[in-house]
Order: sequence, then structure tokens, then C-alpha cells
Amino acid sequence: MNISKIRTIMQEEGIVFSFSGMISQSLTSFMVETAKNQLEEQGEDAKTTRTMFSIAIEQLQNIMSYSKNKDTSNSSKYISPGVILIGVDIDKDKYYISSSNEIDEDDKIRITQKMEYINSFEKSELRKVLREKLRSAEDKHERGAGVGFIEMAKRSSEELEYDFETVGEKLYFHIKTYI
Amino acid sequence: MENLIIEATQYTPKIDFNAKSQSLSIVGKSYPENTFEYYEPVIVWITEFLSNVSDDIITLYLDLEYLNSSSLKAYFDIFDLLEAAHNEGKKVQIEWVFDADNDICEETGEDFMEDFKSLDIKLVVKG
Repeated sequence: MNISKIRTIMQEEGIVFSFSGMISQSLTSFMVETAKNQLEEQGEDAKTTRTMFSIAIEQLQNIMSYSKNKDTSNSSKYISPGVILIGVDIDKDKYYISSSNEIDEDDKIRITQKMEYINSFEKSELRKVLREKLRSAEDKHERGAGVGFIEMAKRSSEELEYDFETVGEKLYFHIKTYI
Repeated sequence: MENLIIEATQYTPKIDFNAKSQSLSIVGKSYPENTFEYYEPVIVWITEFLSNVSDDIITLYLDLEYLNSSSLKAYFDIFDLLEAAHNEGKKVQIEWVFDADNDICEETGEDFMEDFKSLDIKLVVKG
């Protein structure tokens, strides 16, 4: 095993926090609280830290709820495989939160439509869009209000970046959100 | 009616509802994974409470450092219940409390004021 390769990639990508594996609620909480403390220790301001916290939770809870191969054996407590990275984009001089999980082919269309819809709005309009969705509850389901992407876009300084990657028979969804 | 007390966890707030004094308080962070399941007893309690509440003032004290997107929906539902009670002539007061450096929480409070114009919602900056 060549761990120095991974360390080099992490340095190049400005990654300050990473995890790959089965994501649960308790691990989500542990990760975001740890990353929050880390940013605070680095002297980041409250707004940056809180924005990171909010976006990271939405991404991690999306993985838990929507990732393919999630373990739902324990009723309402899901555990799902995924990857999360928190890093600094050197060129943009901004923090980013990025994640990846496997999805079903059917989800690709649903996610693409949602992303295009969200990215069609100006940042200033998203606050209202979110409230309308909360009021109408049109995207509400058992585990959430279906507004996680809107919440991320609202908090982000840029459009939501996303793509899909096919590896063999597997389809992965990637999202990157800049603070 | 019995009081409702639910202790805080790392990702759910402390809930302290006193039926007699009609003072309801929720303090902490809220990002459970099964939000609606978590808030169901809270909604049930409030619904029952509002159905036999006195003419005295009902106060809801909300000091919520962080809400995930599904928790936002749960609070929308709670505000809906309170708005209905207000429309029936009940006296409802809501205090939305936040830290001075917590812009996200302040913004959320402003959004609730905008969406529930008939409700008496006060934004209160801590310390």
C-alpha cells in the first residue's frame, strides 16, 4: 500500500478533511463537529465555519438517504457508502465540500433536473425558492423535505457543480459546493 | 396535561414544554436523520396542548443554533399550528433567539417572520 500517494493527492487538492466508507448519523455528527473545530482552530470566521457545517451535513445526509447500497436494515437509521472531502481550492481561495456516492440510473435524470432547476435561479432568489418548497411540501418524503440541494446552493458562493461518472457497471454522482 | 421534556443529544435540541405555564422552549442544534419521526411527538403534544389552552399568553422560546433542511420543514409545521391557534384568538408569542455572529440563524428567523406575518415573532440577539 502506498499511502504517500494518497497524502500527495490530498496536499495537491488542498484537502483538510476526508472520509471514505460507510456513513451513519453518528459518524456524520462526529465528522462535521470535528471539521468545525478544525476550521475554528485555523482562525476561520464564524460564517465560513457555519456554512461549511451546514453544507457538509446536507451532503452527508443526502448520501445516507439516497446512496445506492444503503443499509436500511435498522428501520429509520440508514448507513450508506460514500466519500466526503473538505478542502481549499488554491486558485479560487475558497473552501469546498465535495462528495461522491453510487446512484441508480433512474436517479441521474431526477438529480439532473433538480440541479438545472436550482442553478437557473440567481442566488438572491434561492431564499424564496426554498421557502416556497417548504410551504408546499411538494418534494417532502419520509426522511426529508427534499430541499437539501437548494439549501446547499443558498449557502454556496457559486453554482452547484456536479457530474456523473460510470465505472464499469457502477454509476457515481459527484457534487462540489464552494463556500 | 403532562409536560414534555426531551433531553438534548449531539444533533437534537433540548425540548422543555410546560403545559401549565404555557411556556414552550427548544434549545440546541437540530439535524437528526429521521427528522419527522423525531418531531412527531413534539407536533402531537403541541396539537393537543393548543386544543385546550387557556386565554393566557403562550410563549415559544426558540434558541436553535443550527437547523438542517428537514428540520426547517418541521419548524414550518410547528409555526403553522401556532398560526392556526392565533387565528382562533389565542395569544401566541415567539422569541427567535440567536448569537450575534450567527447570520444563518438570524436569516432563518427573518424568513419565518416574512412567512408568518400574523404571528408575533421577536428576533432576540443573545448576550
